[in-house]
Amino acid sequence: MSGERASAGDRTTAPTGERAAPPPNPPEEPAVCGHCGDRFADDRLLALHRGRAHREALTDAEIEAYREARTEERDDVRLFRVKALGLLLLIYFGFIYVYAFVL
Amino acid sequence: MTRRRRLAVAAVGLLAAAVAPVAAHGAGLSGAADRSLSVPTWLFLTTGGGVIGASFLLASFVTDRSFIRRVHGWRRGGLRPARAARWLGRAVGLGGLAAVLVAGLVGPREATRNAAVLTVWVGWWSGYTMTTYLVGNSWPAVDPWRTLAAPLPSLDVDYPDRLDAWPSVAALLGLVWLEVVSPVADRPRFLVGVVTAYGVVTLAGAVVFGADVWFRRVDPVARLFRYFGRMAPLHYDDGVRLRLPGVGLDEPRLVTSRAEVAFIVAVLWVTTFDGLVATPLWRDAAVAVVGAGVPPGLLYPAALVAGYAAVCGVYALAVRYSKRAARTYLPADVLARRFAPPLLAIAAGYHLAHFLGYFLELAPALATAAVAPLSPPEPVALVLPGWFGGIELAGVLLGHLLAIWVAHAAAYDVFPGKLQAVRSQYGITVAMVCYTMASLWIVSQPYAVPPYVT
Repeated sequence: MSGERASAGDRTTAPTGERAAPPPNPPEEPAVCGHCGDRFADDRLLALHRGRAHREALTDAEIEAYREARTEERDDVRLFRVKALGLLLLIYFGFIYVYAFVL
Repeated sequence: MTRRRRLAVAAVGLLAAAVAPVAAHGAGLSGAADRSLSVPTWLFLTTGGGVIGASFLLASFVTDRSFIRRVHGWRRGGLRPARAARWLGRAVGLGGLAAVLVAGLVGPREATRNAAVLTVWVGWWSGYTMTTYLVGNSWPAVDPWRTLAAPLPSLDVDYPDRLDAWPSVAALLGLVWLEVVSPVADRPRFLVGVVTAYGVVTLAGAVVFGADVWFRRVDPVARLFRYFGRMAPLHYDDGVRLRLPGVGLDEPRLVTSRAEVAFIVAVLWVTTFDGLVATPLWRDAAVAVVGAGVPPGLLYPAALVAGYAAVCGVYALAVRYSKRAARTYLPADVLARRFAPPLLAIAAGYHLAHFLGYFLELAPALATAAVAPLSPPEPVALVLPGWFGGIELAGVLLGHLLAIWVAHAAAYDVFPGKLQAVRSQYGITVAMVCYTMASLWIVSQPYAVPPYVT
């Protein structure tokens, strides 16, 4: 837990370009953050990252990209919630049926 | 559990002679299976897994970052403990150690009447450990070895950085092996020997490397309690403060190296191993393996290390899958460090499931032995009601639920995308579902005396 090793897991104080290990399914060209050098799989994640990590230093275009990315994300989250709710109901009623047959 | 559970069985057995009809529920968790007769085991296990899966889905509904931050940042208090509290802690620790040594050497030889055995296993390893994750980590103030090491001179040899936390990983596995195969809970004299040896090594280490370095980096018990203390509601941050249980596990700086991840996985594995070796399946497998020519002495360490490697492998696999699903450029090591602390909640839940009943059953025996350590009266054991097994199972499930939530919060902190954060948890959630089912299976098994131990 010494200080010099401690920053590794911390996103905000991470050294430049900490996100540099490509995932097993990398995009052709990673989106690179101009502020810290971190890499992302697509432009939307980069825009979200900039909005959260470099809020103070954003250009107008970057702010606009962040807004757009958030709107898109909100729609996706909504869809995900519907799916998750469906799955929850499936689990719930699935167990009710199984219990009804077994007991 | 093994040794210690045998102790519980012995103590409750004594009582059972007097009140025969209620004896069936005596042996802690082993009674849990009898209580769930009407639900077949496979359904019982699937339900447990289903609860974890469903709670992951429920957690994923919480997508508001500021809400998560508020919940995790909630703090109250800031009371500075009086100096007297620290001295009281030291006095309790030293007094406890002295009592264990004296009662172990000159007290009665029966484990169930010996204050040393009861203090170490019931008072300390069951009861005290629960306070470290349910209340707060007071071990730095209580630890008698730390108190004894403080006034000693130090050679201040540089601790080799490449050793990192690996010695504490090895020591933890070693202690659990010792606990399973040796009569450390049966023979008070042997227990005194183990405690003394631990103390000698600890004090020597503290002199060589300095007490601060030793207890921060090497001592496995200090490390375990420090980690458990991270999930406790009370913590020290320029005064004693209150937070919600578990939120301390989300701190980015909690785990900073691969060795520390390995330690957390070891904590998780040893709690499981401890239960696994007391199942009939292990008994049959062990007899078969030894029958095939494997020396019995090799059986337990080999199983301990092989199982540990397997659990590490599953965790590494889950983390790799997490990296793939999140399509992140963060190195897998960073993810492994970030998602390891939630596993402590699972380990704590499992510890609670194992030891709450055991602690309550034997607490009266501990009290009577503590009052008259040299000539204690016949031990008294509490007989727990049948529904108590439900509380133990709830411990397992609650630990997993807390882990799901903390991992969810950590993922939101790490990843810029909300769905990316949710996807990153798929692999880890699947691993947790499997682990829950395995844990519940162990908990539901009747107790079988582990073979080939002395």
